Amino acid sequence: MMDGMEEVLHSETNGTKSGRSDTVDLNDSTLQVDISDALSEREKVKFTVHTKTTLPDYNKPEFSVVRQHEEFIWLHDRFDENEDYAGYIIPPPPPRPDFDASREKLQKLGEGEGSMTKEEFNKMKQELEAEYLATFKKTVAMHEVFLTRLAQHPIFRTDHNFKVFLEYEQDLSVRTKNKKEKVEGLFRSINRSTDEILLAATQKDVDDYFEKEKGFLLEYHAAIKDSTLKADKMTQAHKTGVADSYIKLSTGLSQLGTIEGPRLEKFINKVSDTFEKARKVEGRVASDEDLKLSDTLRYYVRDGSAAKDLLYRRLRCLANYEQANKNLDRARAKNKDVHAAELAQQNACERFEHMSARAKEELNSFKTRRVAAFKKNLIELAELELKHAKAQAQLLKNCLQALQEE
Amino acid sequence: MADSREPPPLFNDDDDSRKDDDNDDLFTSAVQSPVSELTTPEDQTKQEGAGDPLTSPPPATSFPPDPSGGDRPDLFESCEEPSVGGFSSVPLEQPAEGGGTQQVSTDAQDPPPTPPTTPSVGSLVEIPLIVDTDQDLQPSTSSSSSLTRPDFTLFDTTPDTSETPVSSPDILSPPTTSNTSTSTTTSAQELSASPPSSSALLDLSMTLPQELSSEPPANLVDASSVEPAVMSSFITPAEEASVLDAAAPTNDDDDDAAAAAAIPTNLAGEDPALSSEEALVTVYDSETPEEVSLEDETDDGELFDPSSTPKLQLNQDPPLPASNILPPMGAPLTPPVAPITPTATPNLTPNVTPAAPTPVTPVAAARPSAEQLESESGDEFIEISISDPQKIGDGMSSYMAYKVTTKTNIPYFRKKHWSVTRRFSDFLGLHGKLVEKHLHSGRIIPPAPEKSAIGTTKIKLGSDKSSDSSSTDFIERRRASLERYMNRTAAHPTLRSDPDFREFIELDAELPRATQTSALSSAGVLRLFNRVGETVNKMTFKMDESDQWFEEKTQQIENLDAQLRKLHAAMEGLVAYRRELATSTASFAKSAAVLSSVEEHSALSRALHQLAESTERTHTIHHAQADADFYHLSETTKDYIHLIGAVKDVFHERVKTFQTWQHSQTMLAKKREAKAKAELAGRMDKVQQAQDEVAEWEAKVERSQEEFDRISRAIKKEMEQFDIVRVKDFKDMLVKYLEALMTSQQQIIKVWETFLPEARAIS
Repeated sequence: MMDGMEEVLHSETNGTKSGRSDTVDLNDSTLQVDISDALSEREKVKFTVHTKTTLPDYNKPEFSVVRQHEEFIWLHDRFDENEDYAGYIIPPPPPRPDFDASREKLQKLGEGEGSMTKEEFNKMKQELEAEYLATFKKTVAMHEVFLTRLAQHPIFRTDHNFKVFLEYEQDLSVRTKNKKEKVEGLFRSINRSTDEILLAATQKDVDDYFEKEKGFLLEYHAAIKDSTLKADKMTQAHKTGVADSYIKLSTGLSQLGTIEGPRLEKFINKVSDTFEKARKVEGRVASDEDLKLSDTLRYYVRDGSAAKDLLYRRLRCLANYEQANKNLDRARAKNKDVHAAELAQQNACERFEHMSARAKEELNSFKTRRVAAFKKNLIELAELELKHAKAQAQLLKNCLQALQEE
Repeated sequence: MADSREPPPLFNDDDDSRKDDDNDDLFTSAVQSPVSELTTPEDQTKQEGAGDPLTSPPPATSFPPDPSGGDRPDLFESCEEPSVGGFSSVPLEQPAEGGGTQQVSTDAQDPPPTPPTTPSVGSLVEIPLIVDTDQDLQPSTSSSSSLTRPDFTLFDTTPDTSETPVSSPDILSPPTTSNTSTSTTTSAQELSASPPSSSALLDLSMTLPQELSSEPPANLVDASSVEPAVMSSFITPAEEASVLDAAAPTNDDDDDAAAAAAIPTNLAGEDPALSSEEALVTVYDSETPEEVSLEDETDDGELFDPSSTPKLQLNQDPPLPASNILPPMGAPLTPPVAPITPTATPNLTPNVTPAAPTPVTPVAAARPSAEQLESESGDEFIEISISDPQKIGDGMSSYMAYKVTTKTNIPYFRKKHWSVTRRFSDFLGLHGKLVEKHLHSGRIIPPAPEKSAIGTTKIKLGSDKSSDSSSTDFIERRRASLERYMNRTAAHPTLRSDPDFREFIELDAELPRATQTSALSSAGVLRLFNRVGETVNKMTFKMDESDQWFEEKTQQIENLDAQLRKLHAAMEGLVAYRRELATSTASFAKSAAVLSSVEEHSALSRALHQLAESTERTHTIHHAQADADFYHLSETTKDYIHLIGAVKDVFHERVKTFQTWQHSQTMLAKKREAKAKAELAGRMDKVQQAQDEVAEWEAKVERSQEEFDRISRAIKKEMEQFDIVRVKDFKDMLVKYLEALMTSQQQIIKVWETFLPEARAIS
């Protein structure tokens, strides 16, 4: 079943690609990256990354490579670990393709095949396939967004690793982290989060702006995370609950019509059709809410988290700077290695100031980006909700009219 | 405290009938239950009397003492019990026969007392009996086997007498006086000649008095009002009979016949005992066979009798004691009718019309159409609403009382608009009574709402019910289902004119609770027994269906049942999911509000705030829609699942009748064989006895076949009505639901229309 789906996905993504790249396309045409195709193979998804550029560094103006999710993560880690980019918000990495939920549901459906009618089963299967397709598209979109953000960023776009990622035709042979690395990573992240907490508690920020931003981001992150969760629940209830029970209702009614015979059959069939159509509308409402509302929220959960990371790095830098100051004081007091300490202190100071300036810019751009994204998506959400509600109202009105005529 | 109390409540709850009411009576009621559903003291006496006849053939002794007042219950019960047993099992019948003979003797005594006390009732009953005598004393006997034997003799004689028009025009009222009078007179004579027949009559008469007695005194006073109701209620069957007879030429005749038929059925229905009912029923069945003219006449006579009855009494009383019985019977009928007649006639016609549309249509083409038109014109309406549920009392002994408001233009109700207070168990009691009376004649009785042990206990224990949303939900759901139940019952012309139903909605006082509830509990146990017996019966007995209509219908009902259950599950799912959607939307709204307060960009913050409000509003819409899902779709469907159950009960009732018939046939074959053997052996003494037995069983076969035909016809009519109402209900349900959906969508449109400019305003 999944194999069959892959074919579908293949063509589907091709079909929708043009629409999506339009929204991504900006005036800046120096480096345009999009994912022209994606193929789901077993556990892996292969993305075809298509690049168009005017940058002189690249050998060709237009080319495509095949990349996997792990390579995207590798790219993100390269940026994340690069000291030079400490002052920037690193675009959040795309989430791992996760079709487990769909697969599980499909399996469940297969097990429950005997308990429902063929018609019902087919509709449910279609529903699930559509859902699978939607998740797939969303996954592709997330990966693309990651790349486009990098490509649009004046600094990131010139990164060497990025260039390799886009241009190198062979497999990057990124292996997944082995055990040792994983443990190290875990250790580091624990280390880091304790440090973060410690810093947040002890480090007094010299700049009110950052102090305020920090407070805001912490609160905002918590709030938006909660909203995302709730929004997900809401769309889920809408989709798998209400919309799917319309299927049962619709088939149940049409069967009832068959049993009832001519007196009620026609009438009930009309209603049943209406429920079937209403189901599709409700399903669309749910998926649009998911796309416009939940996904927006979800992205800004991750983006906010990236911004929080930036603030942490700055704070760490500040702590280092203050440490350097102390070291300098101590060196002066002892009159020993004063020059080295002075140098270190100067470096740290420069570093910190540079970083603060960068971070301010980044945070401001984060804000504008966020507001713009919310505006766009909320408007679209409202328009879509209106569209669907109107469609459904019209559908019901037509149905009622048809029933009255009978 | 709660602990100590808890055991009794659970017990009560298990008992559907009682629930809220009396904790104490469980055991006593249980004891009573097996015998009879009425728990009144009379019942107990009845039980005793019944037991006697069954066990000991010479119960004559027991009966004589009672004759004046106490006799009636005893007689009555004796009749009942044999009849009940007679349906399902042969052995019961035979013992009952012995009782029957005894009864006869008592009957002889009874006649004198009856006329004075409950003349009207007796008269009503008697008329049907008379008809029976013409052909069907046997049928009546079959129902109550005890009566049967004597009846046979009568029976044989009766056809002759009936055929010979002995006209006593004096007695009978204007229209069909001659015919009816002849029938009555003949029957009377016969009765006098043969005590058993009279006994049968008496039994029937007894049933009526019981009804009256069981009803509160006010009812007795109302007797006149009740009777019209009876008339109207049974009109439909009467019509059937008339239609079937085909002999019924004029409307008047039909009405009369209907009334006559109605009377018997009423009596039967009122009597808990199946036997009486069947006997009555047989009356019109008997009409069908051959003696159409006679039957019609007899019917008419009966009808007229009621009107003319007073005269009859006077006239007939003098001649013979036995004859007295018959005339008095007729006489009592008349008084009620006579006063009513002006009102009664309108009543009859309107009543007929509502019921008529569906039931009649299948049988007779010409009349039904007219009636249908009438019904559709909406001459009559009755609308019952249930409101103001309130908790009365404290703790486990508390109960919920509801205000039952009725609006109607049906003339036999004294007012156009009034209300009474009833408690939940009263509704169950009403349902029980209706089932007792009408199930056997093939009527589909709308099922009463189920008891919910958890829900009621919660309410009882909850000190402040308003604080608990789940219990208010529960009460509202129950209120709605009670309202649907009452209106379904009221929509049935026969049921709504039933005296018990009318008492239920009209009597501005508490219903006789204690007796009723105990009756219920006993009925509950009885029902349990019956149910077990019937399920065994259903499993073991596979009816060889001869009627294609029933074969198809049974199949359709089964399919419908399964499909409705499936649909109901889907609807329940929808309701649950929509509720979940509503709650998750609400929690998102809250979360969005928090997010908006955190958001530092003022325009975005405002937009998010608007988003929170919009989602809050959609939450309300979803919630309302979930309620609509529930009340429009789910509950109606559930009602129909229960109604289908009632339909199945009716079908099963028919199968039982079929079984009785089959049994009679096998018995007849056996008797014939025995007779042939005796003849071969040349033992003339035995031949005579065998001859008698063959005759008896021939009559039984005929009667049970008629019975079977009757119930089959009745069910067809009922089903026709049921189908029409169901189709209409479903259409209404779906239309209403779609409208509700549309309203929801329109509200959603408004919500987002107000939100859109806010989103656009983000800068």
